[in-house]
Amino acid sequence: MSNRGGQDEPAFPGFDVLDDASRWDAVTQGVVLSRVGPPPPIRFFTPEEERVARPLVDRLVDNDEPRLPLLEAIDQRLVDNEGPGYRNADMPEYREAWRQSCRFVDEDAVERFGVHFWELHEADQRAVLEAVRTAKDWHGLPASEVWTMWIGWACTALYSHPTAWNEIGFPGPAYPRGYAALGLDSKDSWEARERNARDRVPWAERLEAARRRHAPGGEDP
Amino acid sequence: MRGVRARNESAWLLPLGDERTNHRLRDDMRRFDDDDEVDIAIVGCGAGGGVLAQRLARKGWKVVAFDAGPFWDPDRDWVSDERGSHHLYWTDPRVIGGDDPVPLGSNNSGRGVGGSTIHYAGYTPRFHPSDFHTATVDGVGQDWPIAYEELRPYYADIEGELPVAGQPWPWGDPHRYPHSPHPVNGEGLLFIRGCQRLGIDVRVGPVAITNGRFGNRPHCLYRGFCLQGCKVNAKASTLITHIPDALAHGAEVRADSMVSRVVVGSDRRATGVVYWRDGVEHFQRARTVAVAGYSIETPRLLLNSACEEFPDGLCNDEDLVGRYVMVQGAAQTAGRFAEEVRMYKAPPPQVSSEAFYETDPSKDYKRGFSIQCVGPLPITWAEHVAAEGHWGAVLREYMKDYIHWAVLGVLCEFLPLDDNRVTLSDETDRWGLPVARFDYSQCDNDRALMAAGQSKMEDVLGAAGAEETTTIKRYAHLVGGCRMGSTAAEGVVDGNQRAFAVDNLFVADGSVLPTQGSANPALTIMALSARLADHLASR
Repeated sequence: MSNRGGQDEPAFPGFDVLDDASRWDAVTQGVVLSRVGPPPPIRFFTPEEERVARPLVDRLVDNDEPRLPLLEAIDQRLVDNEGPGYRNADMPEYREAWRQSCRFVDEDAVERFGVHFWELHEADQRAVLEAVRTAKDWHGLPASEVWTMWIGWACTALYSHPTAWNEIGFPGPAYPRGYAALGLDSKDSWEARERNARDRVPWAERLEAARRRHAPGGEDP
Repeated sequence: MRGVRARNESAWLLPLGDERTNHRLRDDMRRFDDDDEVDIAIVGCGAGGGVLAQRLARKGWKVVAFDAGPFWDPDRDWVSDERGSHHLYWTDPRVIGGDDPVPLGSNNSGRGVGGSTIHYAGYTPRFHPSDFHTATVDGVGQDWPIAYEELRPYYADIEGELPVAGQPWPWGDPHRYPHSPHPVNGEGLLFIRGCQRLGIDVRVGPVAITNGRFGNRPHCLYRGFCLQGCKVNAKASTLITHIPDALAHGAEVRADSMVSRVVVGSDRRATGVVYWRDGVEHFQRARTVAVAGYSIETPRLLLNSACEEFPDGLCNDEDLVGRYVMVQGAAQTAGRFAEEVRMYKAPPPQVSSEAFYETDPSKDYKRGFSIQCVGPLPITWAEHVAAEGHWGAVLREYMKDYIHWAVLGVLCEFLPLDDNRVTLSDETDRWGLPVARFDYSQCDNDRALMAAGQSKMEDVLGAAGAEETTTIKRYAHLVGGCRMGSTAAEGVVDGNQRAFAVDNLFVADGSVLPTQGSANPALTIMALSARLADHLASR
């Protein structure tokens, strides 16, 4: 999705699931197309939380160019009280966990770098987050539970967006059309055609480049 | 075998053409008054409750089947989309704890008519004969008060009604399926290839998805969204396999009705259920009550039904309600292949192996595991990648490689332990009812099984040509919590699912299972309900 010095061309050039949206059933169209319309305003997060939560979510899933409205999608779930259906006994209720964790992330940034989280370079923001991922206890919360919540909500927001489906070659809704070509190396005519199909090297190279960018001290775009 | 249509006409009661729901049948549904003493009030309209309602309605019983959620219309209510399917799950608050807490939410109870059969994958294996006496044979778990042979005819009947598609089944009690095996997608082909190269027995099926027309239900379209509710009416759920016939025989399905309490009189007999609908509290009188609310909500309802006669919770004289809840160890191993796999196509349930189901005397653990295809859609696949510790740009790159990955899942028979239990939390839900707390911890045998299962999946994917594998640990399929026993000291209910403490109260869901095998539980829950109906009618 992001284009960094040409090393990162799309794996599925020219593929756009929305080209076929008219072939989906109407109920599914309504649900999916609402995600590409104007994003809802932020209503759950306070401004103090929003300025931490936005770079937090963007760093978690490298939401860069084009920047998708992931925080807006998360905020909407929180407003709708669309919870996970359980709470770990060591964790606060999930809405409170989002509020608290935004506060703690900023406290970490101030303690470690002397500036607010939203003022940090992206690489330093990643360093703050990586410390949470690898921690055990984090401000009295089980760090792994906080991390699982963050990354789970961010991935749900990202991989429910048609632009992300284009990036990974997922054709999205398939009803009432279905599929006929089920086997290995076979696809129906509307499925995404992969650049460099069957050649692992381009993917391995992209992965290595991503690892370098992601590593501590990795370059900012 | 008797003709399917003669015992269950559901598939012929669904409409042909562009609609998936017989609205006329629902509009004309019989409706009872709260003051009518119905023959049975069934709490929960999923695998267990749905079958029980249909069977008893056929026998002339006055049946009201409650569900806390909606009476689904697949055309209007479901979408071909992961994110848009959150409403299929039971997401009221619950608390989890223990050394190995089990995440709830998307992977267990459903909410709405059809229950979890709306979002299950559709794997419908039978249990093996050995599952019914693991204590005697292997010295672990608990023997059931019934033997496999008592369920066999009900297994065959339900397999005919779903119907189940698959190859002839060589494991357990060998048997055949009414529909032939489905065509297999890339992931299934790799699973078969890996097993063949290692000499491991593997079969296509058993999957409760039509392969060919069945009544007015069409052939599967292979769109891949089985877990989001089948918009095609191809995957079996009790919403379409048993509820239509139940309605046609005079049963009432009372949806959007949350049962809060089973009422028991001073004579220790159930008199009916209290439920909430549209914000109003009601009491439905009933001659018999059956609870079928899944392994979390069923114990919770009994505990919340404490009364003068049962101060510690209904039927909880022996402190057994909510204990011995089990969950299968369900690690998933993903392999990266040079070929394009595109695992989003075709139903996620495809191929399975029960070659490692039974105790292997050469191993230092008891019981075993089965292996199945998983085929996660993007959000679920992203959770797998993230669970490996990847995030940021690295996660994005793994995700761009989605079409090259195949995922297998193991189902390990974790053992029943008394401290793995449902209790009531201090928190309450919007009706003011204490919510369930579920504590879970593994034992050494569980951990050894999970490691063995993971290693076998890595072997299979490696043999199939995977260049890289990754594994995440997870759970699936909650059962137990109100288990059957031979005596009141051993179980909450007897071998006929009748509560030892309350003569006209029954439990009709997976809660009654004393052990879980390495099989997906839905078919066994349905077969037990069909057997329970015969027992009730003969009382």
